[in-house]
Amino acid sequence: MSTPVRAVIADDEPLLRAQLRSRLARLWPGLAVVHEMENGRDIERVLDAHSPALFFLDIHMPGVNGLEAARAIAGRAHVVFVTAFDQYAVEAFERGAIDYVLKPFDEERLELTCARLRERLSERPPRIEELVETIAARLGAASSEHLRWIKASVGSNVRLIPVEEVLFFQSDEKYTRVVTGESEALIRKPIRELLDELDPARFWQIHRATIVNVDHIAGVRRGLKDQAEVSLKGRDETLLVSRGFTHLFKQM
Amino acid sequence: MTSHPYLLEGLTIRRVLAVTAVCAVASGGIVWLFSNTYADLFLSALCVGYTSMLLFTVAGNIRQEAFPREAVQVAAVVLGSCLGTILAGLVKQRTIAQMFSERLAGVLITMGLGVGVGCVVVATLILREKHSRDQARFHRGESERHQLEKSLLEAKLQLMQAQVEPHFLFNTLANVQHLVETDAAEASRMLASLIHYLRAALPQMRESSTRLGREIEMARAFLEIHCIRMGARLGYAIEVPDTLRERAFPPMMLITLVENAVKHGVDPCCESGTITIRAVENEGKLRVSVEDTGEGIRPKKGGGVGLANIRDRLKALYGNSARLVVEEREPHGVVASIEVPAATPA
Repeated sequence: MSTPVRAVIADDEPLLRAQLRSRLARLWPGLAVVHEMENGRDIERVLDAHSPALFFLDIHMPGVNGLEAARAIAGRAHVVFVTAFDQYAVEAFERGAIDYVLKPFDEERLELTCARLRERLSERPPRIEELVETIAARLGAASSEHLRWIKASVGSNVRLIPVEEVLFFQSDEKYTRVVTGESEALIRKPIRELLDELDPARFWQIHRATIVNVDHIAGVRRGLKDQAEVSLKGRDETLLVSRGFTHLFKQM
Repeated sequence: MTSHPYLLEGLTIRRVLAVTAVCAVASGGIVWLFSNTYADLFLSALCVGYTSMLLFTVAGNIRQEAFPREAVQVAAVVLGSCLGTILAGLVKQRTIAQMFSERLAGVLITMGLGVGVGCVVVATLILREKHSRDQARFHRGESERHQLEKSLLEAKLQLMQAQVEPHFLFNTLANVQHLVETDAAEASRMLASLIHYLRAALPQMRESSTRLGREIEMARAFLEIHCIRMGARLGYAIEVPDTLRERAFPPMMLITLVENAVKHGVDPCCESGTITIRAVENEGKLRVSVEDTGEGIRPKKGGGVGLANIRDRLKALYGNSARLVVEEREPHGVVASIEVPAATPA
């Protein structure tokens, strides 16, 4: 009997690792699962220690996910992705002819994948880096580079305020006021730093000391000299737009 | 004047023609009372009318906050009538001295008529403007209300959809599939939890109002499933007094907080974590909180959608007497709490 094909399973759910292991044992007797991982960490060490020919990678894992693990493997072993439901990823896998299996496992589908892998193992692993990058970018799009939460001290607690709730930020000597529909808090981060981190499509600077959430603007009124005033939905107070920023509200 | 063009804003040809017409009609109306010719009266009227119109326009555009705009406009018309009358005298080649001696009666009559007619015209204008402002404010209020209704409807729709995440469902079923072969008793326990959860989570099966106890049981089913799936990585505790279980509590809010605690709290954190659900009644408020010992919120991480939905619905249900607060927990993790007025048992 020839030497078994060495495989590694990475999934954060222990029962699903056990399940895949038992299915593979049944469908592919020539395969040996030499190692199991809870996430995609330490790929280098695993490659060194176990020299696997094949990785089964769950896409969603805490810490280092399956896509990041595939990137780390960098063509030094074959990769099969495992996922419960990622419509976009599945479409991309189909188009890019990447091996994948869906959870819960369908016996026939898994068998087909195993058969395909057996044929391919003698070849070099196909290049999938580019495709992995696109999928990773798409799946990771939800976690933007912009600020999503404001941490503000309220009494002895640290309140977490989603930026969507913030009506405006206004600098107040040493602090910055964070005003929402129902509360007000002070933070230390200055307006200038906030400007760099907030989504510029939603948060506009209208004054040296003020950043307003565009979603909460009710209207703009021309005021004294070249200034203007912004009124906010559901609030009586208005915010001053200084001369340098009135162009933001010129006829759009 | 060129540096302040806005001061003459509203001085349209239409306004000039209207004032001319008023002057023509007014002169015609009083010509039988005086010995003057119609042309003479019309000339006086135009002087008074145009001067008043000019000052009225400027008064309406001047940017000041000290006096009500209407009062300044009326004052402008009075002043305009006086100046206009003097202007008329000058045009007719009379001296100021003449105007205030032999022709005083005529001057006073002209001024009086100017003030009278001017005030009637101004009152009409102001009322009309106020009416259109009220109309605009009404429309604005209307559109704000529409906006609110729209966002509420969106919140409701979102609530109806996507409560059962396919990812969660398929992963749970994959676990059940494995347990059926290896541990039938555990498989049956997990299926029971899944059924319990689905019964509460599927919109068709949901009631519009619900008791806190029911929401707690749904959360418990969800946590049970995750405890099996995540093994030793997840633990949970429910500290809710029996006396509070019969309280009315809006549906699908607690489960959102629990889902966030698992998905954004404990799961991304590689070590194990605990989720604790608490309910307390204090000073007429029912406060339900979900605490996790997970990795906490990074300022740039998403996950506020479910929370925005809860906030919208709380606002619609209770106005300002309910709130959702998210806070950091020491040494790590998050506490999210919903506070609603403590009503009588449902």
